[in-house]
Amino acid sequence: MSTPISEKLTPIRKGLLELVILKIIAADKVYVADMLKLLSDTEFATQEGTLYPLLSKLRREQLVDYEWKESDAGPPRKYYKLTAQGRAQLAALNDYWKELNRTLAKLEK
Amino acid sequence: MQKVVSVNLNGNAYQLEEPGYEALRAYLERAESRLETNPDRVEVMSDLEQAVAEKCGRYLGPNKTVVTATEIETIIREMGPVETPESTAEVGTSAGTGAAKPADEKCAPKRLYQIREGAMLSGVCKGIAAFFDIDVTVVRVVFVILTFATFGAWILAYLMMAIVIPYADTPEDRAAAYGLHLKAQELLGQANLHTARALREWRRTWRRQQRVWQRSWNERRPWEQHMAEQTHGAMAGGPPPMGHFGQAMAGISLPVFAIVNAAMFVAWILVMISAAMTGTIFGWSLPADLPLWGSLLILFAIYFVLTAPLSAAQHGAHHGWGPYYGPWAALSGLFWLGFTVLFFWLAYQHIPQVHALLDQLPALWQKRQTSFVV
Repeated sequence: MSTPISEKLTPIRKGLLELVILKIIAADKVYVADMLKLLSDTEFATQEGTLYPLLSKLRREQLVDYEWKESDAGPPRKYYKLTAQGRAQLAALNDYWKELNRTLAKLEK
Repeated sequence: MQKVVSVNLNGNAYQLEEPGYEALRAYLERAESRLETNPDRVEVMSDLEQAVAEKCGRYLGPNKTVVTATEIETIIREMGPVETPESTAEVGTSAGTGAAKPADEKCAPKRLYQIREGAMLSGVCKGIAAFFDIDVTVVRVVFVILTFATFGAWILAYLMMAIVIPYADTPEDRAAAYGLHLKAQELLGQANLHTARALREWRRTWRRQQRVWQRSWNERRPWEQHMAEQTHGAMAGGPPPMGHFGQAMAGISLPVFAIVNAAMFVAWILVMISAAMTGTIFGWSLPADLPLWGSLLILFAIYFVLTAPLSAAQHGAHHGWGPYYGPWAALSGLFWLGFTVLFFWLAYQHIPQVHALLDQLPALWQKRQTSFVV
């Protein structure tokens, strides 16, 4: 029996998640619940268990930074934003993704 | 009514129902062990606690100060398993791990466990109550009724369950016993612990069961005698004068009953051992969609149905002896014991499957202990 298609798609999605998160953070200062909500109806729907470790890694790589903001519904929240380095990396990843798409399109002809 | 545990989640106090607390603690412990090599461990852990706290807040209000176990379960499900980005990268490069991972992370199904906390004897009833989500008293009452209805033989079934059903000794086990969301993978890690613990428990349970058995045995005989007298009284207006023919019949039937009973008992015990240890009855496989304890219960029921008329007849024969009942019962017991030992020996000597099974028993027991938890 061949591998079910879903198992082949999962690693692709996981690999792209970093790019997706950088894109979201580039658009606006967001906090984790916002990101999860934005993604909930998409193929990239994810959970805190995945997102927090990823964000911490991005912060360690100095691609994102956060600031604390008071919230009226409880304790202060972390709002994430891109650093200059993060912006550069997002541009590079975006270019690469477009390059991949072009190649795929070319191969279809 | 549930016990409530107060917890500090990233600087704020929350009150959780105890099973929910166990589940949450297990989740966070698991997260921490997953992040062990991650340089961001401390930060991620506090982020996760914060996220749980916010989600708890959603369920609380001026008139609701406690987060229930079900709500915690929902929260844990929403949080999802903690994955480090490094392991995500691994999944990306190797399709093999990618395929294996989702299977591991499926939530563990509800399992039948013995639950020590609040147990009267061994915790079998408590575990069954948790499994079916019913009150433990209902289960206990049913067990007591079954014990009387089967003239104490149900105690044997209880003993069997006490041996076969593992104990829920870790938060993971307890969560699985109550059917909370957890991962199978972590349960596997507990398997080794179980082996040692199960052996110790087995000894303790055995001693406890012996006492229970002894007690019910002592109570049983006068009660039965009383019943017998009453029935005879109603039929003939007094203890029955038994003729020589009747006495002779009883004398002959006694060893016959003992032999048949012993043979059936030996066959049944061997079938039970085979079923419990190898999952098959001498090569004939058990129904796959039925859990092991279910099969064992059915086997027990079959044995009881087959032997019930026999033992009723045996009691009848005993009662025919009126005042001699006591000595004859003892003699019959000795007969039974003798034939049981004899049949075991014969089966061991002359039936190759039985021989093989009994020889493999220690190894199978080890294996069984580890695979129970899977």
